[in-house]
Amino acid sequence: MTLSYVLLQNLRRNRLRTGLTAVAFALPMAVFVLALSLVVGFVKTSAALEQELRLGVHHRVSLTNFLPDGHRRKIEELDPQRTRLRAVCGMRWFGGRVPGTQQTLQSLAADADTLPIVYSDIGLTEAEITEWQRERRAAIVAGGVARQYGWKVGDRVVLESTIPPYRQLEFRLIRIWDESPFPMTFYFRRDYLLDAFEREGQVGTGCSIFWVKCVDAAALRSLQQEIDALFANTPDETRSEDENAFVAGFVQAVGDLPSLAQAMATVVVIIVALVAGNTMMMSFRERIRELAVFKALGFSARRVFLIVLSESVLLALLGSALGILPIVAGLTLIPPDHLRWGAFSPPELSWLAVLGSLSIGLIVGIAAGFWPAWQALRLRTTDALRRVA
Amino acid sequence: MSAADIELVDLHKHYRKGRIDIPALDGLSLTIDAGSFVAIMGPSGSGKSTLLHLIGGLDSADSGIIRVGEYRLDRMSERQLTAWRSRHVGFIFQMYHLVPVLTAAQNVELPLLLFRMPARERRKRVATALEVVGLADRMDHRPNQLSGGQEQRVAIARAIVTDPDVILADEPTGDLDARTSQEILQLLSLLNAEFGKTIVMVTHDPRAAAFGQRILHLDKGVLDRDERNPARPAAAAHAH
Repeated sequence: MTLSYVLLQNLRRNRLRTGLTAVAFALPMAVFVLALSLVVGFVKTSAALEQELRLGVHHRVSLTNFLPDGHRRKIEELDPQRTRLRAVCGMRWFGGRVPGTQQTLQSLAADADTLPIVYSDIGLTEAEITEWQRERRAAIVAGGVARQYGWKVGDRVVLESTIPPYRQLEFRLIRIWDESPFPMTFYFRRDYLLDAFEREGQVGTGCSIFWVKCVDAAALRSLQQEIDALFANTPDETRSEDENAFVAGFVQAVGDLPSLAQAMATVVVIIVALVAGNTMMMSFRERIRELAVFKALGFSARRVFLIVLSESVLLALLGSALGILPIVAGLTLIPPDHLRWGAFSPPELSWLAVLGSLSIGLIVGIAAGFWPAWQALRLRTTDALRRVA
Repeated sequence: MSAADIELVDLHKHYRKGRIDIPALDGLSLTIDAGSFVAIMGPSGSGKSTLLHLIGGLDSADSGIIRVGEYRLDRMSERQLTAWRSRHVGFIFQMYHLVPVLTAAQNVELPLLLFRMPARERRKRVATALEVVGLADRMDHRPNQLSGGQEQRVAIARAIVTDPDVILADEPTGDLDARTSQEILQLLSLLNAEFGKTIVMVTHDPRAAAFGQRILHLDKGVLDRDERNPARPAAAAHAH
């Protein structure tokens, strides 16, 4: 037998209370690690996007307001020599879904001529570019969508609009983009969408956003100001953002995750410290005579202090591990596509978050156990024994 | 097998309750010979438990000399007293105070965790101690699987497992029925007679005190009477 064994056995003393306290640690720790893993996934995506030097130009009022097609030409004329701007690609939100399903894909109708340039990170081959420009129904889909619906290159697929008149469009897949940071993306040609509108006697012009591919970061910053200045005081004023900021804004519209995670961490520490502190204090009070006997047997005050403190730390770490382990297992074993949540990138396991959670568990364990341990240290053996004898 | 004599000279101990000064021991002097069995009696507040705690190094006196064997407890720091207790004193309490989540053997082993001792040697000592108290067949039982008498036997085994010089018992039969009390007292007598342990026992019960070779009566912090028990072989003992 060792003192560690005695500590572990002590946790079994009141199993319900130990269990509930461990769960009180486990749940917030699990949410904390998950939230930070979401942030890590998002940050990683943002970092990748930043390198793509894309400037998103959308209506100043809202993304749902279309900008005139003519904005593309006006933007291109800002740099006719193409020293700062490589290409401009207009996109229009379609938001279709596979008929019979409820999940809206991030489907966008894009300018056929410039998509391969602006989205060079898709890595289309020469043959794929030729195919994209030859086939009006061509579509490029992210790996997540393809895996979810079992699609492969060459398949003919149908998307149905989620708004009246719920038009259906048929596409032919020419490329599965596995590395897409947004696993539910679906690109197709805007002229194909325009044809569909025209067939129904409707006007389908206008873009939700223009993506401007810049040559470097300095060009991106200067064009950002020039574009917004160009359309200032017009009926269709713009707001230009780099892609990273654009996605961040989009995600923050759903919820400011980094701030949420930070707030959560603070709340976790306070609540769990209170719960654990209460448990440890109750445990100490119940065992005050037993601890006095430990002292009488020759256990030093320091050793008794460490026993009580270690018990609290052990409980905190066990509870934290209980919450963290399923998240670690889930994020390690489950394919990222299955973990996607709304517009967010799939969470990516953050070992820093795991370490951080365990550190929080350790700190909370020490904080919660310190006062009872201090009381045990100062416990006058004779006074405690007199309560009985 | 070891035993120690005890010498107390002009012991004073006061407690404060708010502004009131309560004398617990008021100039008590006493000598207890090594290997004797002494019972201490007296009304509540007479200083019995205080005396026991001072002899056991659990508390310190305001003034006076406390010597147990070759050790002057009144000159020791709290840290030194703690170390001394672990090797030289065994305590037995009225309510046994066993750790409920540990087995009988593990409870007995607890004080040995303070020693640098191989696990095998620890197990051997635990087995011997439990055999002495007649619980060799209950080693793996938890306290809630034992009767009150058996729990007290485990507590006695815990007190003797370190082979202390002195065993201090505070109302060891206070929570037991008459028959079990007799068994426990016989066990203490055995430890005294067979193993030569110096035993100091505080009790309210004259039948329990009758097991002592010497019965000391305390009152208001001083020695009121010092009786030798003719029914028990007298050990050399005297009060100043």
